Amino acid sequence: MSNELNLDYSLLTPEFCLGGLAALILALDLFAPRFRKEWLPYLTAAGLVAILVLSLGWVNKESDFAGLIFIDNYTTFFRVFFIASTAVVALASAHYVQARLSNPGEYYALLVLSTIGAIYMAASRELLTAYISLELLSFCLYVLVSFSTSDRRSHEGGLKYMLLGAFASALLLYGISFIYGSSGSTFYDEIAAAYAGGTDGFELGLLMGLVLVLAGLGFKVAAVPFHMWTPDAYEGAPLPITAYLSATSKAAGFALLLRLFSGAFMPVRDDWQWMIAALAAITMVVGNLVALQQSNIKRLLAYSSIGQVGYMLMALAALSSASASALLLHLSGYVITNLAAFICIIAWYNLTDKEEIRGFRGMAERAPLLAAVLAAALFSLSGMPLFAGFFTKFILFQAVASEGFLWLAVIAVTMSFVSIYYYLMVIKEMYISEPEEPGRLQVPVLLSGLAVALVAGVFYVGIYPRHLLEVAEEATKLLFA
Amino acid sequence: MEAVTQQIPLEHFLVLSAILFSLGVYGVLTRRNAVLILMSIELMLNAASVNMVAFAAYTSPEQFIGIIFAIFIITIAAAEAGLALAIILRIFRYRKTANVDEIDELKW
Repeated sequence: MSNELNLDYSLLTPEFCLGGLAALILALDLFAPRFRKEWLPYLTAAGLVAILVLSLGWVNKESDFAGLIFIDNYTTFFRVFFIASTAVVALASAHYVQARLSNPGEYYALLVLSTIGAIYMAASRELLTAYISLELLSFCLYVLVSFSTSDRRSHEGGLKYMLLGAFASALLLYGISFIYGSSGSTFYDEIAAAYAGGTDGFELGLLMGLVLVLAGLGFKVAAVPFHMWTPDAYEGAPLPITAYLSATSKAAGFALLLRLFSGAFMPVRDDWQWMIAALAAITMVVGNLVALQQSNIKRLLAYSSIGQVGYMLMALAALSSASASALLLHLSGYVITNLAAFICIIAWYNLTDKEEIRGFRGMAERAPLLAAVLAAALFSLSGMPLFAGFFTKFILFQAVASEGFLWLAVIAVTMSFVSIYYYLMVIKEMYISEPEEPGRLQVPVLLSGLAVALVAGVFYVGIYPRHLLEVAEEATKLLFA
Repeated sequence: MEAVTQQIPLEHFLVLSAILFSLGVYGVLTRRNAVLILMSIELMLNAASVNMVAFAAYTSPEQFIGIIFAIFIITIAAAEAGLALAIILRIFRYRKTANVDEIDELKW
């Protein structure tokens, strides 16, 4: 690292704007009583889209802020990714928040603030910065999960998430202290340089550090055996926040893991590869098998997302430039698909108050568009051809197998077949079972429009994955420079 | 600082932090009151701070990374405690208990 620190604040403009947007939302909520609160989600989404366009200005540029935060294609990719998914969640929350939650200003402001944390998790190349970003995201999520005052499950989910999350942070910090002790630095490139010179004499400290860091971050992305909070937080949280948890918080965890392991721990690859491979294998198996016996759609998707985490960890175990871009591709496909599924569930819940899988009976008759989109999203999650899930999984499994982890790819394919069963159970309820009540439901244009747009994305990625894969390759190129 | 680092070897600090950390983990696993679990987590965070400061003093005394890290850990731990107590308080208001074994509506 040079002595001249680059303190060019203009590099951080999108995040300053996000902070400003959050402050604006809070101020409007507090000081403008005449302001119609139902406009807040549209204001949030409009602001986010403007910031998204602004952050496109950094495409193909490369710079760093004081050696702590790197603005490169990887960061730009995740900036666009996180801002877009927050905008979708904000719009999807509109009806839900108005009908069921109080204090909408705080809700949307926290949503926007958590996006900053997610972006810096992807951007930071220093452990302290990464840790603070992680906590910024987590703190916002703790509050959002326990946001509902009317639903008792919300507090409980929030408490469990908070206590286990804090426990995970403590593990992570203790691990970081050993990484710092054995390498003498918290900058990723200096850590890599220190380890490249040999690890004799501090092998134990390094191993402790790796195990604890992996456990701490494993909690955050919900890898088995650190997944216990996931189903409870997913079920307790307000529905749009469940969608947000499954999309942004997961993706941010992987963005951090990918930069950390490719940037700092590459020289000691032999020490951690087997750990992540083992985590990936049990995560896939447990996530998919426990999903089989769920009766609540939120819990079903929680376990299905744990299964997906297993596939993604696999790419991390077989870390190479091919598997990193495959991971980004799979992550994007998964988030688009999952958001599409959740928007249908939110719309259905708004109209019928049902979130049990049994409650989806006859959805095809009562809300055919929602049922079709949800079916498409579930087929995509299980990895059917034509949908996003097939190609992203195909490319991911191929990258993993070619790195010498054929056994992991075999488990992944087997578990994908298992997953078809529980996704089909939901589809069976929607299409074959008779509806409990007759009559068509009037779905708001906003939600059906969002659902159709996202499902169009699912087909786009499924049929022309080349484009997104090229973007992902561009984004990960510098990680392995 | 010079004198201390020469008189006491680094291992003593690492053992101290390991004891603190183990006590914290033990507390998290055995205590059933949410507030006590939170206190145990604070112990674990303090162990990390001790480690950070010790490593900073012994391995790179001319740099401040470890010490700055410890300051940030303390700050974030305070924020975390505030947030957690707020959530626990709300649970307590609804259920009249802060025992995590009794807060069990969500299962499997």
